Amino acid sequence: MLLSVEPDGPVPIYQQIRDRIVEAIAGGRQPAGSGLPSTRQLAVDLGVNFHTVNKGYDLLRQEGLLRIGRKSGAVVQRDAGSGPPRPDWAQDWAARLQTLLAEAAAQGLPAEDIMRYCCEAIAAFAFPEGQP
Amino acid sequence: MSASRLFAEVTVPFFAVTLCLAPAVTRPTLPFGVRVPPERASATVIRHERRIYYVRTAAIGACCIVLAVLLQGYGSWWLTRIILLLEVAADLGCYWLARRKITAVKTAEDWYAGHRQIVATDTSWRTDPPRFPVRWLIPALIVIAVTIIVGALRYPDLPARLALTGRGGRRVPRSVVTAFAVVAVQVYVTALWTGMMLLVYRSRPDIEAADPAASTRRYRRFLAACTRAVLTLLALVNLSMLLVALRNWQVYRLTGAASALPVLPFVVGLLVLAAVSFRVGQGGSRLPGGAGGHGAAAGTDRDDDRFWKAGLIYVNRDDPALLVGSRFGVGWTFNLANPTAWLVIAAIVAVPAGLTAISVTVGL
Repeated sequence: MLLSVEPDGPVPIYQQIRDRIVEAIAGGRQPAGSGLPSTRQLAVDLGVNFHTVNKGYDLLRQEGLLRIGRKSGAVVQRDAGSGPPRPDWAQDWAARLQTLLAEAAAQGLPAEDIMRYCCEAIAAFAFPEGQP
Repeated sequence: MSASRLFAEVTVPFFAVTLCLAPAVTRPTLPFGVRVPPERASATVIRHERRIYYVRTAAIGACCIVLAVLLQGYGSWWLTRIILLLEVAADLGCYWLARRKITAVKTAEDWYAGHRQIVATDTSWRTDPPRFPVRWLIPALIVIAVTIIVGALRYPDLPARLALTGRGGRRVPRSVVTAFAVVAVQVYVTALWTGMMLLVYRSRPDIEAADPAASTRRYRRFLAACTRAVLTLLALVNLSMLLVALRNWQVYRLTGAASALPVLPFVVGLLVLAAVSFRVGQGGSRLPGGAGGHGAAAGTDRDDDRFWKAGLIYVNRDDPALLVGSRFGVGWTFNLANPTAWLVIAAIVAVPAGLTAISVTVGL
């Protein structure tokens, strides 16, 4: 999996690490059961502080996407084929999506353009066979 | 010509050629230690400075070689070392001048304006790490074993006082320490280089943001080729020391030009390493199968010049890396802001210093 961060960008690095890994899981590049580098290794490879990577991994662990074992290291726990998420998770996510879509509407992006962006993003995800 | 004499004669031309050609093996986006965006890699100022550097260092090299040849046979062997020191200092001065010029243009024209600066990595480097070629270490270990066996067989027949190489014919009393000192050096050199290469295998690969997947593949090939070349050099260095030991143990005696024989394997090893470095380039930058392939570039390599002192020394407190790819020539350099780097350097210095102290104590 290719992972890139923008160290001097506006988004905190730990958030970028978390976001890139979520995208890789959704895109099928990092399926459930696949391993990720240890926090120390990824910190060395990105040239960032160890705690920064730890914070990113911790977010993924709290979201149930990553399992961090002493021996097994960091392993992806869920992906698009792992079944439906918890109901309360979907509610939280819908609220965040509402804000994200509202930003586009507030900036004057037409509804059909918003739909097109959404469809393009979904088309890049690796849903299991049989799902639309 | 003695072994040490030949070694001294070879070093001045060797450094003249390697330092002159160093810009050819460095990454195109790191000319003279200055990070530049890919589309500026062949900017006029860079091509101009590279040409000037080649001319200047070629002239310096030629002068130093002539000087070394003319002074051969005069004064002490230190003369050649002084010439070598001056040669390296002058070449680094040329490097510094070129770097200053390119940096000035880069800053004035703001080459990084509008670039999204990123750091890219390929996690497969850790989840599917390259394997250290242990088999290539076997020849070096066999040579050490042969040295120990021959030494053990010869030891009972050695005279009471030994004439050791590099001691101006002064004889030292025979003891296990004096007879086997060369084995200690072989073991130290082998352990040091193997340890360094193992550290390199754990360090971060040089990955280009413009094409992370292809540059990771190239780096894997580069690392494998360099490690094999280093382990070949190691076997040949040990062979050189075996030849020195055999002479110390009076297995053979050479006079005249032939007495330079022990240093030859070492010289061959250096040439192999130089040839491999030239073939692959720093981080695999001269290997085929590169630019513009896999996926759209998400950004440009981050401008990290501020962490490189004089374009040669890496000091970055925020980077946990111990070793990083060097910016001049082929190889790796320590992150001097990492305390572990100082521990490793201290250990590298302490072991030979300790060995020397022991040999002095026992009266070698």
